[in-house]
Amino acid sequence: MTPAPWKGRGTWAARLFAALYLLGVWLEGVGWGAPFHAALPQWMVFFTQVSALFPHAAQFSIDYRAEGYVCEAGEWRELDTRPYFPIDENDKENRFQRVLFFYRKQKAVLNAVDQFLVDRHNGGGRDDGIPPDRRIGGVRLLSIRSPLPEIGAPLVRVHRVPLAEIPEKERKIWFSTPGGAISQRCFGKRPRGVRPRGEPFGIDPSNDEHLVDPGPSDEPRDRTKDDSP
Amino acid sequence: MSALVRISRAIEEPVLVLRMELFRILAPLFVLGFMSRRFVHADEWVGDSGFRVPPLGGDWRQPLYVPALPAWAAWGLAAAMVASGLAVSLGIRTRASALVFAATLVFVALSDRLAAFTVSKISPVLMIAIAIGPSGTRLGFDAWRRRRAGGTRPRKARSIGPVRFLQVFLPVFYSSSGIAKAKGDWLTTPHLLWTHLHDTYQTSVSFFLASITPGWAFNLLQALVLAFEIGAPLWFALRATRTLAFAFGMLLHLMIALMFGPVVWFGCLMMTALASAYMPETWFSPLERLASQTENRKRGAHGSGGTDAT
Repeated sequence: MTPAPWKGRGTWAARLFAALYLLGVWLEGVGWGAPFHAALPQWMVFFTQVSALFPHAAQFSIDYRAEGYVCEAGEWRELDTRPYFPIDENDKENRFQRVLFFYRKQKAVLNAVDQFLVDRHNGGGRDDGIPPDRRIGGVRLLSIRSPLPEIGAPLVRVHRVPLAEIPEKERKIWFSTPGGAISQRCFGKRPRGVRPRGEPFGIDPSNDEHLVDPGPSDEPRDRTKDDSP
Repeated sequence: MSALVRISRAIEEPVLVLRMELFRILAPLFVLGFMSRRFVHADEWVGDSGFRVPPLGGDWRQPLYVPALPAWAAWGLAAAMVASGLAVSLGIRTRASALVFAATLVFVALSDRLAAFTVSKISPVLMIAIAIGPSGTRLGFDAWRRRRAGGTRPRKARSIGPVRFLQVFLPVFYSSSGIAKAKGDWLTTPHLLWTHLHDTYQTSVSFFLASITPGWAFNLLQALVLAFEIGAPLWFALRATRTLAFAFGMLLHLMIALMFGPVVWFGCLMMTALASAYMPETWFSPLERLASQTENRKRGAHGSGGTDAT
């Protein structure tokens, strides 16, 4: 049995921990979490970033999609990412949606998504909208920003629309595999400056600046806020 | 009397043990419900079969880099999570189970930031609260085993720090959420709730309500939610407004659960916390009758105890 003095100290330690946690939750929520950020490791602060939910109005209905560059046809076709990101496949808690939400300006992460999708498709086995016997050499990662309906206007249930039916002006490309990488994956190594049949036009194979300049519109506005409970 | 002594006395004032038991039974089930869509794909979630964000070295979106587990370990972790979560709910080795459950929840929250949400982050703390409290003393397997062994009749009310924690946690959560909203767009953008009804969270309920609700009603609801959240410490502290605040909070979370698809588990978890912390004592009567009947029956069957007044 625990001696009374130690039990008392344990009780007060638990109370102190609870008080600090509650203070952290409150400060993080209201945006005054800097003292905690300075004093505690990031992974501990992470558990207090829970309450700032939906602080902003939505400007658009946002969805993230991918296209694959089909080597044989020399064209971009929609690549359904859901078979490769199966958790919550039909809503914005899906991990593909989340990786684009958080990291669409992070080259290292987008390169990893590119490699992952190309490997998974070319590995075959899952129905992603591009026949498994058609290799892909790269991906484009896009956001779809659909305007919100007016109040009182007739509504349509939210549903998945094929990329081809979405107006160009609602699409925003955040990442495109560099032409050189596409050529190499599709056709193997080749002399610099020679464009094999089927390589995408308009992409300089030597240009690795494949991160398309992102606009500000669907940027998370506060680093502590997920906008999702 | 010093402030510490006064705080201590307030914390130690007895509350119904069934408050803790209600939370202990339901909360792990809702956390498991939230996790269920993840652990059925454990190898893709925290294992090496799915996409992993590479190490980013201090990036704010990656609080800690945790490498992918081999598939067998990912499935093992998922099994441990389910087993310990169910054990907490059933009251089997409650404290140890709650600590194991909390540990698995901490791991998955840090391992996969992409699939971590508010439920992922608050649930470890809530499970630690269950482990600290007198969980499993009245209902559940541990209580049954103790009765069979001839243990003394459990108390109906006692000092329970974790219930006090829940009672403070909720107003803290709401008020910081409300202030974040006020600092965001809630005071400047009319029809803000409307703007959140048109993405993949949409359910048939939210679609129906969006179709029939007039614009002014969205503004009214926006104002009510903001007033409830910012004023939550006051609404829950005052005896006169407490039950109304409890009812409003339950309704708020019920609507969130019905209108925002996967957020249903968050709504249910918060309703459980609200009910455990603030439901009027008289509403616990059916659960109290059940607990008392069970305790009397077992005692009668084994001939021990049974002298306490009910």
